[in-house]
Amino acid sequence: MDQRGTGFTRAILFCRQLDPNQDVNRRAIEREMGGSIRFFPLPCSGRVDPLYLMRALESGADKVYLITCPEGACRYREGNLRAKKRVAYTQGLIEEIGFARERLELIVPSAEKRVTIDELTRDILAREAAIGTSPVKGK
Amino acid sequence: MITAERKPISEIKEMIAPYRKILVVGCGSCVAECAAGGEKEVGLLSSALRMDAKASGKEIEIKEITLDRQCVYEFIDHLAEIISQYDAVLSLACGAGVQAVAEVFPKAPILPALNTTFLGETKEAGLWVENCRGCGDCKLGVFAAVCPVTRCAKGLFNGPCGGSKTDRCEVDPDVPCAWQLIVTRLEDMGQLDLLRKVHPPADWSKQQGKGPRKIIREDQRT
Repeated sequence: MDQRGTGFTRAILFCRQLDPNQDVNRRAIEREMGGSIRFFPLPCSGRVDPLYLMRALESGADKVYLITCPEGACRYREGNLRAKKRVAYTQGLIEEIGFARERLELIVPSAEKRVTIDELTRDILAREAAIGTSPVKGK
Repeated sequence: MITAERKPISEIKEMIAPYRKILVVGCGSCVAECAAGGEKEVGLLSSALRMDAKASGKEIEIKEITLDRQCVYEFIDHLAEIISQYDAVLSLACGAGVQAVAEVFPKAPILPALNTTFLGETKEAGLWVENCRGCGDCKLGVFAAVCPVTRCAKGLFNGPCGGSKTDRCEVDPDVPCAWQLIVTRLEDMGQLDLLRKVHPPADWSKQQGKGPRKIIREDQRT
């Protein structure tokens, strides 16, 4: 579905080891989607801190995604496992203030087929967000 | 190290409800080490409170600051220039830090964001365990540096209770029997003879019953 102009904004933090051409591939999507999507490449998804996720939500992202390497494929061994725990921690924190935990989503691509960041993003965009705009934006 | 945990956000929200401008103050020492009150935790809590306020249409202004230590006046003084601009201070320090700040700024509401829990060590990443009760009468020298007051569920001074199973405490099987640790370490050090001495009950008056304890060192005073 074409989600341009819906006002729904996404922040996508991702492990840049996933896609050797991530710079070119993500910029193509950014051009297409304008300000409704922002990418934040990380050297490893284990570099993510709950604070990054909170600041993304606080800045008005309606939904924040963290894309890790496939399980067992982290070049730093357990970065993606740590990322999973940090997302879970942050989900608990936002639930405490009445935000749906679905505002944060962890995406772990399958190890069977190598995918690029633009393909992963198109998959995200093809799905219904299943969540409204962020309460941070006011009613 | 003093350990602490963040209070539930609902409790924090209730405390700060009467105030609009909040100074959120972290402490860069013990509570930073136990991931409860350092700079990151100040950021997380501030973000959460701002998001909550926006979502409920309330106006709130939060400034984040983290002192190296909240229990030492020289560091607390860093707040002197800004504290008057805020309605309240939300402190992410241990109870000692909260009270020290309150003492320096008698007219400012100083609210605790943490529950101070125990004196402990960082056992591994993300795991802190209690190993000192601050009893004021340390006997680690005779107990192979394993504190029976803290680490034995029954606080026994003269040998194990006999209830441990496969070196685990009968009160909590997740916890190693302190007396098993004491005996093993004394064996390893060839100092089992230390256990021949019978120890009288602890002198709890050094820990409690006389109000707040204090230490005075004249050579350190000005």
